[in-house]
Amino acid sequence: MFLYLLRRLAFAAVLVFTVSSASLILARLAPGDYVTMTLGIDARRDAAEALRAQYGLNRSIAEQYRDWLFHAARLDFGRSLLYDTPVNELVRERAANTALLAATALAAATLVGIPLGVVAGSRRGLLSQFIRAVSLLLLSLPSLLTSLLLVAVAARTGWFPIGDMRSMGASPGATLSTVDLLWHLVVPATALALPIAAMFERVQSQSMADVIGQPYVLAALARGVPRSRVVWRDALRPALRPVAAVYGLVVGALFSGSFAVEVVTAWPGLGRLMLEALRARDLYLVAGCAAAGSVFLALGTLVSDMALAAIDPRSPGDPSDPRNPGNPRDPREPRFMESAECVEAASA
Amino acid sequence: MNGHLRSAAYICHGLVVAVAVTAAGCSPASRRAPAAAGRGGQLAVSVRIEPRTYNRFASRTETDLIVSMLTQATLFRVNHVTDEVEPWLAEKSARSADGLRYTLTLPSNVTFSDGQPFSAEDVIFSFEAAYDEKSNGTLNDVMRVGGKKLQVERVDPRTVAITFPAPYAPGLRILDNLPMVPRHKLERALKEGTITKAWGISTPPADIVGLGPFVPLEYLPGQHMTLVRNPHYWRKDGNGASLPYLDRVTLEVVPEQDAELLRLESGQVDMTTSEIRPEDYAPLKRAADGGRVKLMDLGVTLDPDSFWFNLKPGALGADPRAAWLQRDEFRDAISMAVDRQVFVDTVFLGAAVPVFGPVTPSNKKWYSPDVPHVPHDPARAKQLLASIGLIDRQGDGVLRDQRNQPVRFTLLTVKGRTALERGAAVIRDELKKIGITVDIALLEPPAVVQRLVSNSHYEALGFHVGTTDTDPASNADFWLSSGSTHVWNISEKAPATDWERRIDELMAKQMSTLDESERKRLFNDVQKIFSEHEPVLYFAASRVYAAASSRVTNVTPAVSRPQLLWSPDSIAVVQ
Repeated sequence: MFLYLLRRLAFAAVLVFTVSSASLILARLAPGDYVTMTLGIDARRDAAEALRAQYGLNRSIAEQYRDWLFHAARLDFGRSLLYDTPVNELVRERAANTALLAATALAAATLVGIPLGVVAGSRRGLLSQFIRAVSLLLLSLPSLLTSLLLVAVAARTGWFPIGDMRSMGASPGATLSTVDLLWHLVVPATALALPIAAMFERVQSQSMADVIGQPYVLAALARGVPRSRVVWRDALRPALRPVAAVYGLVVGALFSGSFAVEVVTAWPGLGRLMLEALRARDLYLVAGCAAAGSVFLALGTLVSDMALAAIDPRSPGDPSDPRNPGNPRDPREPRFMESAECVEAASA
Repeated sequence: MNGHLRSAAYICHGLVVAVAVTAAGCSPASRRAPAAAGRGGQLAVSVRIEPRTYNRFASRTETDLIVSMLTQATLFRVNHVTDEVEPWLAEKSARSADGLRYTLTLPSNVTFSDGQPFSAEDVIFSFEAAYDEKSNGTLNDVMRVGGKKLQVERVDPRTVAITFPAPYAPGLRILDNLPMVPRHKLERALKEGTITKAWGISTPPADIVGLGPFVPLEYLPGQHMTLVRNPHYWRKDGNGASLPYLDRVTLEVVPEQDAELLRLESGQVDMTTSEIRPEDYAPLKRAADGGRVKLMDLGVTLDPDSFWFNLKPGALGADPRAAWLQRDEFRDAISMAVDRQVFVDTVFLGAAVPVFGPVTPSNKKWYSPDVPHVPHDPARAKQLLASIGLIDRQGDGVLRDQRNQPVRFTLLTVKGRTALERGAAVIRDELKKIGITVDIALLEPPAVVQRLVSNSHYEALGFHVGTTDTDPASNADFWLSSGSTHVWNISEKAPATDWERRIDELMAKQMSTLDESERKRLFNDVQKIFSEHEPVLYFAASRVYAAASSRVTNVTPAVSRPQLLWSPDSIAVVQ
């Protein structure tokens, strides 16, 4: 297990290095630069060149990358050209906002999606069909549309604020401040949580249906054990494995920042910061945001694997272990192709 | 975890020979605002782009310009409604007979927001900051005339003299760009060559000092910037009451325009800084009819979207299409082939007027009604094209050149700008009717700007070239062949054509003569030559709408940006 953790941490380091390097290089290679966007089309050429030299943007891509790498190795991702502030400082602040939004959305999606999945997967009837239909609808709606719909509802009803993290002139008291923050979280967190809850429901429902058909469950039912007890006590734990498998991906994707939701609901998170950085061609900020996103992604997968191991004691968490139920060679593993499709739909 | 699932996820001295008091410079009445009914309260304004600095020398984004308008003040300002230059911080001005030297008198009792007195030293310092070569600020170019600096000298603590390097017709209009900043706060930064790095967003708001109506109180990055009344603000209203009327202004960052409008409709913001898109008019009209918002029709825009071909000689390399793509006849034909009314109806949903040049009817002083109105005449367009060898050679409705190749070009425009995207589509559809194929390429703004400033890697381009002023002399870079916004052939070393040389000569006279009627006559000639050669095609100028909450009063809306917030000290709200 320790070796496995070491391997995963090494993998996370490689992932962060690769993603941030690629982001910096791609942003550098993309047409247009920060100086052009800042000075505009009417700038004198000599003034633009002087500014490029000031920011080091007139150097070769190799030189730029080497210097950036040298500093990044010491966890110094440079200074944002756009904000003239250390990238670490900007990213830390926005990542915290994104983490708050993501954690709230994840909790809501988990608390809603999984129970509904258990219900839909363990019964037949109108309720299951209704849950499935709503899930499919939510899965098919793009996040942008869901966000706009929720913002429109909040605007029309005036029930919730649409944008920002706290009210202007909000009371400084801790309790009121927390309530104010939660009030502001409703719209963005719901927009983010709905498709994920739907995905969890779909995955959980199918997994539950598979487990319910297993001989040991059928045997328990045949022995007269109440169905609800069998479902919530015996079948739930094995049926959670596929959800745990996709949980890391969802955590990673959520914590990397959601452009659509953060932009529409004006949530000051990592996704919005990265979008601004990309638009302004702020290389260092782009790389910093990408690095933070990949850290979240790596942590997400790690958490996911740990969750898998916790749910299934047979698994030491190593995918190469033949006993690992996540290993495709395991004939006992149910087919979860539908889960992958759900993840893709939710990500889209 | 399933491997393929994981991999799917990583993805601005001397002797006055003869003094003439300028008409604009002796009117203390303009220093007083009309009295408003309400006082106090808060105004929430949405901005699409986050503030990046408190420093006007460091940025030119619209949001940062608004922050500068709220926190700083200039010696003179352009009244966005009357389009006249009026004394702002300066009490009066006098111009020498040769028009080169202006002597400005400063008020005696004006202090910065920290209580320090404003003096001639601060004026000189502000000019030094603008011209600082070490930091290359955004005002370095703007505050030059013919590429040369203005000379500023202190006459006495309340008097400064500004000398222009050459006769410059707009005169003190140029000072509308330069905020007066405190020497006592920024002198060190200037000495260290870091003036553009001063007053960044991480600077404590209490350190930001200015002569504007408001001072920063708080900035939460990505969320909002709160500004409160400057207790030392120097301006009073018609009743002698201190301005501003508002207690505070909050700039709310709302990046998405649909969400911005929803917030306006729901009363969560009082005004937006974005212009209302044509497609947003209907819902806002309903909200206006319901009394929730005020919808204002400000008239036709001053700077319409434009389309042009790359006319730089050799820009298309060995491409044989350059033989017809850069011809005057080709552009004339396109101008005739596109039905401007269709353009108005399709792109702007009817909320626009057909235009035939860069100066629109909103620019009352400089618009020339004598510019010929190109008729919609596809038949004549085809004749013009035939005269340069572009004929339907195979009877299939497709025009072909002398090499029998279809007449086809790529029109590049900005992704996400709906008016430009729709405009490109209309041009494509209209030209298809006369046998020309247009391929539309949508690119992100930085990619388009990069092609534009390098004058390469594009055949035709659709873009919004924003103008900063109504006076043509202030936009000389567009008209002069050597100009950096002479978009069809940027920064020519020498005029590439006779008509460009003629425009250069006329503009040089237009910019230097102080006789306004002569300036008007010269600029009419410039517009006439421009319309004969149409280096840039204009089809429609949209109407500009602005919206504000019904509780906002005393606004003086104007067609130029920022339409509602250009005079923030006199805005009031009903509480």
